[in-house]
Amino acid sequence: MSSTVYIAGLGVISGIGNNVAEHLSSFAREEAGMADITLFNTIHKGQLPVAEVKLSHDELIAISGLPEQTSRTTLLSYMAAKEALDDAAIPDIKSFRTGFISANTVGGMDKSEDFFAEFLADNNKGKLRNIFDHECGSMTEIVADKLDIKGFVSTISTACSSSANSIFFAARLIKNGLLDVAVAGGTDSLTKFTLNGFNTLMIVDKEFCKPFDENREGLNLGEGAGYVVLVSDKVAKTLSKAPYCTISGYNNSNDAYHQTASSPDGTGSYLAMQGALKKAGLKPSDINYINLHGTGTPNNDSAEGTAVKRLFDPTYPPMSSTKSFTGHTLGASGGIEAVFSVLAIKHGIIYPNLRFETRMEELPFEPVKHFRSGQYIKHVMSNSFGFGGNCTSLIFSAT
Amino acid sequence: MNCITSSCIISQGTVLKDGHQLFEKKGIDASAFLLSVYQHFGLNYPKFYKMDNLSKLGWLASEILLKDTFEKENYQSEQVGLILANQNSSLDNDIKYFDTLKYIASPSLFVYTLPNIVMGEICIRNNFKGEHAFYIQDQFDQGFIETQVNYLLDNDILDACICGWVDILQEKYKAVLFLVEKQRGEDAVRFSAEMMNEIFNRA
Repeated sequence: MSSTVYIAGLGVISGIGNNVAEHLSSFAREEAGMADITLFNTIHKGQLPVAEVKLSHDELIAISGLPEQTSRTTLLSYMAAKEALDDAAIPDIKSFRTGFISANTVGGMDKSEDFFAEFLADNNKGKLRNIFDHECGSMTEIVADKLDIKGFVSTISTACSSSANSIFFAARLIKNGLLDVAVAGGTDSLTKFTLNGFNTLMIVDKEFCKPFDENREGLNLGEGAGYVVLVSDKVAKTLSKAPYCTISGYNNSNDAYHQTASSPDGTGSYLAMQGALKKAGLKPSDINYINLHGTGTPNNDSAEGTAVKRLFDPTYPPMSSTKSFTGHTLGASGGIEAVFSVLAIKHGIIYPNLRFETRMEELPFEPVKHFRSGQYIKHVMSNSFGFGGNCTSLIFSAT
Repeated sequence: MNCITSSCIISQGTVLKDGHQLFEKKGIDASAFLLSVYQHFGLNYPKFYKMDNLSKLGWLASEILLKDTFEKENYQSEQVGLILANQNSSLDNDIKYFDTLKYIASPSLFVYTLPNIVMGEICIRNNFKGEHAFYIQDQFDQGFIETQVNYLLDNDILDACICGWVDILQEKYKAVLFLVEKQRGEDAVRFSAEMMNEIFNRA
């Protein structure tokens, strides 16, 4: 099968905006989404900055029309997936086989945490409806129902590469003729479990994160959701507006080095980037922008940087970590950053890597510091690397 | 025909391979015993010292299970997998981790607060990349393991599978691993729930 897979719609919500337009404007203003915690109920309030979506539970319920007990993970997913599907505006979508491939890592844990606080204090207390949708697949099912997608529904959970793998999987489903349209990406909301877990691993920065900086101290958590609508050749011809671009390359490679850390030489990341280039039939020098995984942890940035050096040396394309804006949105990050990668091609823009000051000692390159527009961008690589060494790279290409 | 080509039991101070006792040391606690097994068999894998006791137990059992028996060069990495189960998940390490919360939550204990990490340790050591799954059951369910392993082997998803039980909670520990392969060596016994049950209960 050699048919082309097009990107026809985009939807995103994160700490820097509730839709695509708000994101573009935050990027141009170089305004980060991290701040003191206001909505999220945690003992770290006032101590650790996070990038919260600036809509409360009640506001999300009112906008979405979903039931009161709906997990924030589901609500964020619905917001972005709906925007993507509306954006694609596929005429007569009912006549196509449409799928929803959505990733997340926390599931309905935000609600489960509320349940257990009450339940542990008194075993007769706690509302069971708050744990009913605990598992990751529930998020996807609820949103698929609400979007009336029935062709194929699947959930992927591979840590921080989850939603890049959803897009990867969706592209293959279309390429192999199993679907005509797929809404693919992922979602994650802030939970006590993830913030406390990352804090236990001692990789959370108490200040705003500084990806790829010599003096980086860790990540900031974020939340959000990001989806792209992938369509086949056949569907692309029916669209009323031209598709944004194609997805030309993808690869997943596994480091298998440590439960959470990447290998120091970034073997998994190197193989993922190299494999995606091969799939796309491109050379490293064809890439015009890399949206780095760039979490801001000493381990990730050093491993990813080493892998980039190994593959791209001596000529480096512009690159940046947009986690300096959105924080690390875990299972949503691959989807959110796929949207940013597509927008980079569409608008000829390159996002800055905020707060970058000092080049890493071991690297001969540094990320882009300020917002650039009017760029010629044909091929963008987007990296998403997860715990356990689960590494995925995607490549988007102008049509 | 799927065959059990090797078995290993580590339980309460004794180590058995294929029914023969290879090592015994009673009257010491679980951590000290696991270290003595590591030393007795002359193993050299510094990462052992970082592992939680569940991983140490499962990893040691896999080392002894495979040693001098498993012909790795006959297999592709993707053709070897694992199906393991236990009763107490990672509770042994979870309790130790929970105790550190009073002071400073320990990152090195935190990364072992999942039962399937033991499989990761075995896979990393041997470069196994096939299907693997970890189940939590009240007791060793031979029929369930038999179904899972036969499915993987009979559908050519795997060519060899390590399966069995790895359970530890404080001072109570038992690992019983089976190497199941398609080809039949002369000593091989037929892989079945009954045979697993018989071997399991020897310990």
